[in-house]
Amino acid sequence: MRSPLGLAAALSFVLATAAEADDVVRIGWLSSLTGPLSSAAIAENQGVRYAVDEINKSGGILGHPVELLTRDTAGDPVKAVNMAQQLVFSDNVKFVIGPVNSGESLATVPALSKAGVLNIVIGSLEQLTDPAKYPLAFRTINTNTQWISTANRYAIDTLKRSKVAIIGDTSGYGASSAKTAEALLKQMGVTPVYSVLIDANKTDLSDELNKAKAAGADVVMPWTAATGLCARILNTRGDMGWNVPIVGHPAVMALPIKALLNKSEYWKNVYASGYVSTTFQDGKLPERTQALVDVIKPALGGKIDFTFWWVALGYDSMKVIAYGAEQAKSLDPDKIKTVLEHTSNYPGVYGAYSWTPEQHNGFPDSGMRMNAADTFQDGSYQPAPY
Amino acid sequence: MWPVIVSGLAVGASYATTALAYNLMFSTSKVLSVTTGQIVMLGAVAGAWLMNSLGWPALLALPGAILVGAAFGALTEWVAVRRVLKRSDEHLWILSTLALATMTQQAVALVWGTEPRPFPRLLPQSFEAGIADQKFWLPIGVMIAAVAALEGFYRRTMWGKLFQATSEDPFAAEARGVDTGRVRMLSYVLAGALGGLSGFAAGELTFAYFALGLSMTLNGFIAIAVGGLGSSVGAVAGGLALGLLGAFATYLFGGAFQQTIAVGALMVVLLIRPEGLFGARGMRAV
Repeated sequence: MRSPLGLAAALSFVLATAAEADDVVRIGWLSSLTGPLSSAAIAENQGVRYAVDEINKSGGILGHPVELLTRDTAGDPVKAVNMAQQLVFSDNVKFVIGPVNSGESLATVPALSKAGVLNIVIGSLEQLTDPAKYPLAFRTINTNTQWISTANRYAIDTLKRSKVAIIGDTSGYGASSAKTAEALLKQMGVTPVYSVLIDANKTDLSDELNKAKAAGADVVMPWTAATGLCARILNTRGDMGWNVPIVGHPAVMALPIKALLNKSEYWKNVYASGYVSTTFQDGKLPERTQALVDVIKPALGGKIDFTFWWVALGYDSMKVIAYGAEQAKSLDPDKIKTVLEHTSNYPGVYGAYSWTPEQHNGFPDSGMRMNAADTFQDGSYQPAPY
Repeated sequence: MWPVIVSGLAVGASYATTALAYNLMFSTSKVLSVTTGQIVMLGAVAGAWLMNSLGWPALLALPGAILVGAAFGALTEWVAVRRVLKRSDEHLWILSTLALATMTQQAVALVWGTEPRPFPRLLPQSFEAGIADQKFWLPIGVMIAAVAALEGFYRRTMWGKLFQATSEDPFAAEARGVDTGRVRMLSYVLAGALGGLSGFAAGELTFAYFALGLSMTLNGFIAIAVGGLGSSVGAVAGGLALGLLGAFATYLFGGAFQQTIAVGALMVVLLIRPEGLFGARGMRAV
């Protein structure tokens, strides 16, 4: 007869094995679902949740079902860093997607990296990735420089404009983007004729646009994510009867702008940095984008009234974690890191990602595409004229 | 230069009307309610909702927005002021009104959304009207009408005199049979109506935006601090000065300096005249 001690040991081994098999993979999702920057987060959340459902239906990650732990940061960096710590130390997550905004990510990326958590970064500020400082932070979204360079090339090389007026807002993001835009233009041999930072809630922009016009600007380039400010730039230009092209941040082509315009034609001659994945070519979207649109659109009541690349980005960010774990055959963040650092052209919906040990920004320049703002349809756009 | 002046005056007029609402509430309760800017925001949001979503004409939506403001004024008095004043002489109303203001902003963000929404054109006019555009003159007109109406109210009506009596000495007023509780409630309802009207009039300028309240609360407060607490003339002078200062600061130095210069000016005024430009100097028996 076996001893009670031996039985207990055997029983605990069986229970532990069973528990491990049933163990869920907990993935933290830091998302500003409420607050002033919620539009992108709400759309990205659709993609993240759909990817989790899809992964779980196909057996989970390495046989473990995924449990998504969503935390609403309300766009507040303090809340974001507290929630990140809660996810790591109370919920024991090994993977975190987000936060959505760069300002929040500046606070969370160092903390998550230090805690040994694999962090999928979806903020665009350059300093959020650095393989030496944050070895476990991998970016799926494009960088701010990619947005700005794409728009600059379009304004200078395609539209053949050389007298640029840059408008940023006074937030950290707006000021930094305007500065980067100016520096990148100078690298192209173009010195802006006018550059200004404006409070995002300023109600009248006629001074600024009149000054830009008086300076001889032949293109206006807004670098702000504030919907109200973008709409006021377009309204002021339209009311002035100044048909100068506006080329800039994707916010100028977001759907909420349309309702704020004094006249719908004020959205014409407006172009923004977009993506190949959400640009119609000969009336069709790329296959992978269309497939995702087809499955997500019915769940949204048959209508997509937000920019679809946000959904694709959320979807891909979750899928990248699953891909890394499956390839590494492990849930160990360090092993997944090694896999991701040797990934070339992983086919996502939003883009085809490549990371190396020296470069943790995965989105390729070739995935960028200029769009015409007034062509919004199901979250995607027609290409800007070339 | 004229566009700078006119837009500065229009924004300043909104600050001034917010400051008048502050004064109305302060006169009967000695409370500077943090909800004041939220009333203005509710006026803009309610107006946009009634016209855009329910299809009401502007003439019907205007009293609707005023009613929403008045109701929120009453709610502020009932929830965040009355009970706190009854139980404490300390300035706990700062916390209670701040809590109500925060909850209101969050609720509007959840229900209305966090992006600015359009506010319809109220009067038929071309968008190319320049400085004659109604979006500038409606808030200025409302400010002038509000000051005139308030002066008439204070000087010519019995309720106005009751407001003044309660403001001067609530204990003496009560001793003479004035129901100071009712007077205070009425002052919050009136302030709410004025805030709702102000938000409606400035809607074309500000859009219907959930975060508008915070900016109005801050700038309305600066306006009364500069102009002098309790003075309608001071509220107008403070509001217009702040609006013009912000517009010229942006025009001359760029938007990055707008708030710094505006708040810096407040500091300078308060250092030189702590009671504000038109405020009464406080006397203390020793």
